[in-house]
Amino acid sequence: MAIDKSLLTGSTTMLVLKLLDGTDMYGYQMIEGLSKQSNNVFRLKAGTLYPLLHTLEQKDMLISYEETADNARVRKYYRITKKGRKHLHEKKEEWKTYTAAVNDLLGGAGFATV
Amino acid sequence: MQQSKITEYLEAVRQQIRWKRAQAPVLEEIRNHITDQKQAFIREGLNEETATERAIAEMGDPFVVGEQLDRAHRPRSDWPLLVMTAAMLLLGLVIQYLVGPNIPFGAESFGRQIVWAGIAILAMFAAYFMDFTILGKYSKGVFLVLCAITIASLFGEQVRGSSVAAIYPLLLFPTAFAGVVYSMRNKGYVGLALCVAAFMIPAYLSMRIPSVTVLFLLCISYLIILTVAVGKGWFNVRKPLAILMMYISTAIILSATFFTMRDYGYVMRRMQIVFNPLRDPTASGYLGSMAQLLLSHSQLIGPGLPIKGYGDYSVFRLLPDANTDYLLTHLVYRFGWIVFIGIVVLVSIFIMRAILLCKKQKSILGSLVSIAIISTFVIQCIVYIVINLGLLLLSPVSLPLISYGGRALVTNMFLIGLMLSVFRTGDLVRDKAGVEGTVVNSSSFIQYDNGQIIINLRNPFIK
Repeated sequence: MAIDKSLLTGSTTMLVLKLLDGTDMYGYQMIEGLSKQSNNVFRLKAGTLYPLLHTLEQKDMLISYEETADNARVRKYYRITKKGRKHLHEKKEEWKTYTAAVNDLLGGAGFATV
Repeated sequence: MQQSKITEYLEAVRQQIRWKRAQAPVLEEIRNHITDQKQAFIREGLNEETATERAIAEMGDPFVVGEQLDRAHRPRSDWPLLVMTAAMLLLGLVIQYLVGPNIPFGAESFGRQIVWAGIAILAMFAAYFMDFTILGKYSKGVFLVLCAITIASLFGEQVRGSSVAAIYPLLLFPTAFAGVVYSMRNKGYVGLALCVAAFMIPAYLSMRIPSVTVLFLLCISYLIILTVAVGKGWFNVRKPLAILMMYISTAIILSATFFTMRDYGYVMRRMQIVFNPLRDPTASGYLGSMAQLLLSHSQLIGPGLPIKGYGDYSVFRLLPDANTDYLLTHLVYRFGWIVFIGIVVLVSIFIMRAILLCKKQKSILGSLVSIAIISTFVIQCIVYIVINLGLLLLSPVSLPLISYGGRALVTNMFLIGLMLSVFRTGDLVRDKAGVEGTVVNSSSFIQYDNGQIIINLRNPFIK
């Protein structure tokens, strides 16, 4: 199902950083990767991704480099930095706290507090 | 047909990005993305036209995209450095004003310095908004023009036997040299040798002034630039070997020039005084010895103690050039060491921040140019301070922005403006293609790349 946009924007940074935590990627790869790994729940628009990548690079959370593909096209790859990993870790902790609290509130047998 | 739709889309995005320099690299990335997306759709079975339209639609509203990119790409001035530059300039003027009444033609000098300061500020802004990549693109041209200007200046104004006018174009050489090094990168040992050879020209010119200080400044900055370039692997050579070759060849050339000088015995005796002015305090070592004398009578805060044995002479006559060469010594004697400490702290903070930003440079050209400029700045400062402490007896070039001297002021402000320009726009600079720093050398016959052995039969050497 389509997810409300406001839920998406906050965690997009975290998701992008998580993708790059695994391996260096270029823009298009990230959109495909995100879509596949989330079973098409996250369909990130390219127009949102690139400004985000550029901003993260300026904040020194990513670095970029160019590589020539076999068809002579030059692609811009992104790599996560130490600062980026640290930020990712912080956001992950934040997310865990947040989701735990929401789940508690929504209740259900599995989430009853003792 | 499809290409024009993509171009239209990109144009709409481009118009939202206000900073011109950011447009090209950003749009290229977006174009590549649209192409990738289009190919994916084609592989899914769509025809080219629909694939293109869908790919463009997937990007989103061009105005929104463009606007977000615009926000991400704004030229950012480094305010701390700008503020510190202004502070140093102002400090220099204040000091000139204070020293003015005590030296001959003091008031006029101060007036002239203000005018020069105005010109210098214009020079700084000219450099600030200049596209520093011309140093990379036209490095040889810039270098030759600078040589011509320097040679012409050698025939200019002579002060106490030296062609001082040539000092200032020579100050610009490390920066021009950075451009030459950039253009020689990846050319291996030959490129390195050419750079060493190129350096010999300004070095020789500085010896024609003659100015040991400028020669020293050129040597140190050139060694710094080349060491960094070799160290970072930009020359594609074996590092320890190249560094050794570099330093040894420089040492050989400099000693050879020195020993073939006509009157080298005389020069040797003078050099001894340079390093120890106290050997001849009343004659050739006078300035250095006098500086040390004043400093030994100085306090931490407040005016220094009176100096016995020199009659009624004011310190400004005992140690001349209070506003130019010996500004710091006089300041220390008159106001105390605290002033010296303050100036050193201000200058150090400026230098440290500049070095920090140099290290953050992503492009090779940006790194080289900024390193060249900050080296020029640092060496001038260090030399000036050491001379003012009376430990060395040479004629310093200047204490950048602070000591009196219009041409030095304009030159240094221009360099600072250029450095700030690098810091502002360096992120967008792409090192020219044809540079493959870490990528496999594509002209080789057999390549091993990513698990595959590729035999390149299209190599022109094989028919």
